Amino acid sequence: MAPTSALDMPDMPSGKLPPHLELQRTRVICAADAAAHTESIQYSGAYALSRIDNSLRLREFCDNFRVEVFSLNEDDIEFDMIGIDAAIANAFRRILIAEVPTMAIEKVFVANNTSVIQEEVLAHRLGLVPLKVDPRLFEYKSESDLANEKNTIVLKLDVVCSRQDGRIKNATVKSEQLQWLPNGSEYQIEKTSKTYTSFSCSQETLPALKDNPIASRYPDIILAKLRPGQCIELEAHAVKGMGKTHAKWSPVATARYRMLPEVALLENIRDSLAEELVEKCPVNVFDIEDLSRGRKKAVVARPRDCTLCRECVLGDGWDKRVQIRRVKEHFIFSVESTGALPPDVLFLESVKILEEKCQRLLVELS
Amino acid sequence: MNAPDRYERFVVPEGMKKVNYERDMKIMNAATFTVQREDHTIGNIIRMQLHRDPNVLFSGYKLPHPLQYKVLIKIQTTSQSSPMQAYNQAINDLDKELDCLKESFVSKCRRNKTTIKE
Repeated sequence: MAPTSALDMPDMPSGKLPPHLELQRTRVICAADAAAHTESIQYSGAYALSRIDNSLRLREFCDNFRVEVFSLNEDDIEFDMIGIDAAIANAFRRILIAEVPTMAIEKVFVANNTSVIQEEVLAHRLGLVPLKVDPRLFEYKSESDLANEKNTIVLKLDVVCSRQDGRIKNATVKSEQLQWLPNGSEYQIEKTSKTYTSFSCSQETLPALKDNPIASRYPDIILAKLRPGQCIELEAHAVKGMGKTHAKWSPVATARYRMLPEVALLENIRDSLAEELVEKCPVNVFDIEDLSRGRKKAVVARPRDCTLCRECVLGDGWDKRVQIRRVKEHFIFSVESTGALPPDVLFLESVKILEEKCQRLLVELS
Repeated sequence: MNAPDRYERFVVPEGMKKVNYERDMKIMNAATFTVQREDHTIGNIIRMQLHRDPNVLFSGYKLPHPLQYKVLIKIQTTSQSSPMQAYNQAINDLDKELDCLKESFVSKCRRNKTTIKE
């Protein structure tokens, strides 16, 4: 008798993984005690024994990949990326936080400060103020470079607190009082006729800056508090940098991703059980559907809202009725910009940076 | 103070190669790539891409120390391929995948923006 393999048996599905393995491959099962099958199976030979090729080729990737933009406004974007691995999603997140450049105040020249806030503390506060300016218009400035119109932005802060008609003027110094100096520094280096910057032309001549004067993104950030007679007079020099060096250059407040939650009802849940299930969920994932003759049935209406609190699988026998899962290759990505660039542009910048990195790794090898 | 300069995290020092290739002397078709001034961002993504290649038997990456700004990527392939070939192909594929991703993102964003305006 010729030897037969179990794989040749008629009940063995060919070319496809059996359903339980397919579930383990594509879903994280979030049971009441712990999450199972959290790994992503990337190895091409992972299912070699079942004669299934797990490799992923470029064409298959492009065919399967999808983007859905969920919401987009001036500061935030939420979009779904379907068909990518966690490694790619995480690379974008890391690049958005640490490697997309912005402009931030780096050097502060204090001419006078009689307020109670110390110079170094004030300088640190100024550094954290988000500036509304496109960093792509500027170049990086190294320690040896002279400050010129292509790598430095100069802002002036000159406030005096005084009593006027029984009122105190300028008691709080706000970020809107930072004034852009398109012609560069106004302070002279001692014993010379030169200033701290050497601009060859005014930054206002740049067409992109002409219509959008540089200022703080938010006008109402409190920088310091003054009492009558106190004053602050300083010049702040902003340069280009990235979040890796200091978080003040990070262009995002948050960039995060999560896997799509999936709630599965393992059996029909009816009547009083259905009502109990709707009652159990704190974020209102389930709805009740009315059937004929006054009967009711629970349905999963808003799985995207699920926070995986697992309230629905706790309690007697509920883990047999409901299962919470996460879809491994479906990422809900959300980016919150601090204002230098719109969030969709930020994401495209991060893709470009990753591409540049890839190119560099190829070019510099040979 | 003796704190290292901040730019040391991303500027490759003069005389040092960005990517160094070293063959493994004991195992056939195995090699280590040392990439200077990179981290998990690139290490993990290349490891993932290599795993999808049916000719790759092993691939892994590590950051030897948080203050040494480099990653080591180890690759072992079957005799049909070589670590160098697998590495090049992985990065080329990745680059094209990113292009595809970028295109679909741009088109979806544009569609979204026009619907907002209407």
